[in-house]
Amino acid sequence: MWENRCKVALSGVGFSKVTRSAEIPLAAHALTAVKEAVADSGLILSDIDGLATYPELPATGHAEVDGISIVSVNCMMAMLKLPNLTWHIQVGTVNIGGAVQQAVNALLAGVCKYAVVWRAMHNPRGTYQNLPSGMAAGATQFTAPYGFGGPGQGMAVAYARWLERHNQNREKMATLAVTQRRHTQHNPHAYFYDTELTQEDYLNSRMVAYPFCLFDCDIPVQGAVAIVLTTADRARDLKPRPAYLAGYGQRLHFEVAGRIGSLADYMEGGRSSAKLTWERSGFTPQDVDVAQIYDGFSASVIYGLESYGFCKEGEALDFIQDGRIELDGDLPLNTFGGSLGTGRIHGLWHIIEGALQASGRAGSRQVEGANVSFVGASAPIVTGTTFLFAREPY
Amino acid sequence: MSDWSKVTRPIPVPNEWTKPFWDAARRGVLELQRCQSCGHFQHPPYATCTQCVSTDLKFEPVRGIGTIYAYTIMYHTGDKRFAGAVPYASIIVELDDAPGALMAGNLLEAEYTGAKVGRRVEVVFEKLNDDITLPQFRLAPSERGQAVSGG
Repeated sequence: MWENRCKVALSGVGFSKVTRSAEIPLAAHALTAVKEAVADSGLILSDIDGLATYPELPATGHAEVDGISIVSVNCMMAMLKLPNLTWHIQVGTVNIGGAVQQAVNALLAGVCKYAVVWRAMHNPRGTYQNLPSGMAAGATQFTAPYGFGGPGQGMAVAYARWLERHNQNREKMATLAVTQRRHTQHNPHAYFYDTELTQEDYLNSRMVAYPFCLFDCDIPVQGAVAIVLTTADRARDLKPRPAYLAGYGQRLHFEVAGRIGSLADYMEGGRSSAKLTWERSGFTPQDVDVAQIYDGFSASVIYGLESYGFCKEGEALDFIQDGRIELDGDLPLNTFGGSLGTGRIHGLWHIIEGALQASGRAGSRQVEGANVSFVGASAPIVTGTTFLFAREPY
Repeated sequence: MSDWSKVTRPIPVPNEWTKPFWDAARRGVLELQRCQSCGHFQHPPYATCTQCVSTDLKFEPVRGIGTIYAYTIMYHTGDKRFAGAVPYASIIVELDDAPGALMAGNLLEAEYTGAKVGRRVEVVFEKLNDDITLPQFRLAPSERGQAVSGG
């Protein structure tokens, strides 16, 4: 087991308004989320001495403009002018989960006391994923000429393989979309709060990239979420009940740039990250009371459930049936609605929900007896990170 | 059948690692990067062998026959250059001679519903300009003429 098990906790959380298009600069969204997270902890900005983010804009073919389409650490420093800042980082791999893990490490190293992590996501005008214009350089030279434009298609091909290899039926995925949308109705911050989705809606929706229909894809939005992390001792003195971090992991599987469609890459990536998390936390999949598994594209949940060890390979679409992922089911899943419900904010929201469930702060969507709370914070292939939150620090 | 006539494909830009692949394709030959130490074929090309970390890598011809490892049918018309071809099949092919080396392509000369995991395909070459010829795939003779269904 990890010697630092439950020595760091997630404390405050914050949310900006989530809108379909960019009505105000992204920096304003990030600022709102950060200020709200700090206030939720009962802290003031001058208490914050650590900053971390992963600022990437996943929309290809659009300019990254700081404050408009991304919010870098530099941008946040300029906005907050923190008088006591001692540490910051902007990570380039493993997505926002990597930024959270770096902040955890910084707290354990004692180089900061209260770290803020945010994820701000921009929805650019026009087509979200643009193929390279005219020329396809770098990794895209082997994909873009064939009409592969974004991560959705890369995940779609692996999903088609999964479906046919396991003789499965994509219509079963309706259960995930409909259940998560029902969970969304308990999350007023979510984009699809107040919008119902029926099984018929799912089955009749237009195909985007087979096997993905419209409701297998999270909707691009503009918004930001933020958290305050601190050491367990300090967290106990703050306003909200802490969610103790029992363990974390990141994918160790080697990535070959430009290689797409490999189902094995998703499974290996997820297994490697989860193995670290189970070993460090001392928990097993059977101990988990509630799970958040990244669902930017629905099939990510399949790869997650299977590679993290919640069910066997080929069984995930059966596993999610019969009420198992409902709020009162055996494994309540994506209880905040997931990215399919909130809109495309990436995995920090999954981490937030994992912590809120562990600390009993999830309101009307609170899972009873949620003592062990698992999070898979992004698609397991390239960016995979996993987290385990516990209600009690032992 | 997908109409590719109005599609303007992005043109690959070869670099120091990938140039031999594109040079061979221009000659109508499929060559993949092969580790000279352990014999492993890999694609896309990489700086080292992804199996044994050797840097002794050379491009060698492979037979252009294999199976569809995975596929997607594109319906989305966000990219206007490909809009005229939807729905179309983008496929991932595992060649018989290079297990684990996954190549992207489109399924040409067939209905898009012909794309199924495990179906046999063979390489064909689509000239984009004087410098770049694109390896593509069509169903192998053994698969042609068979009824296809689903999608």
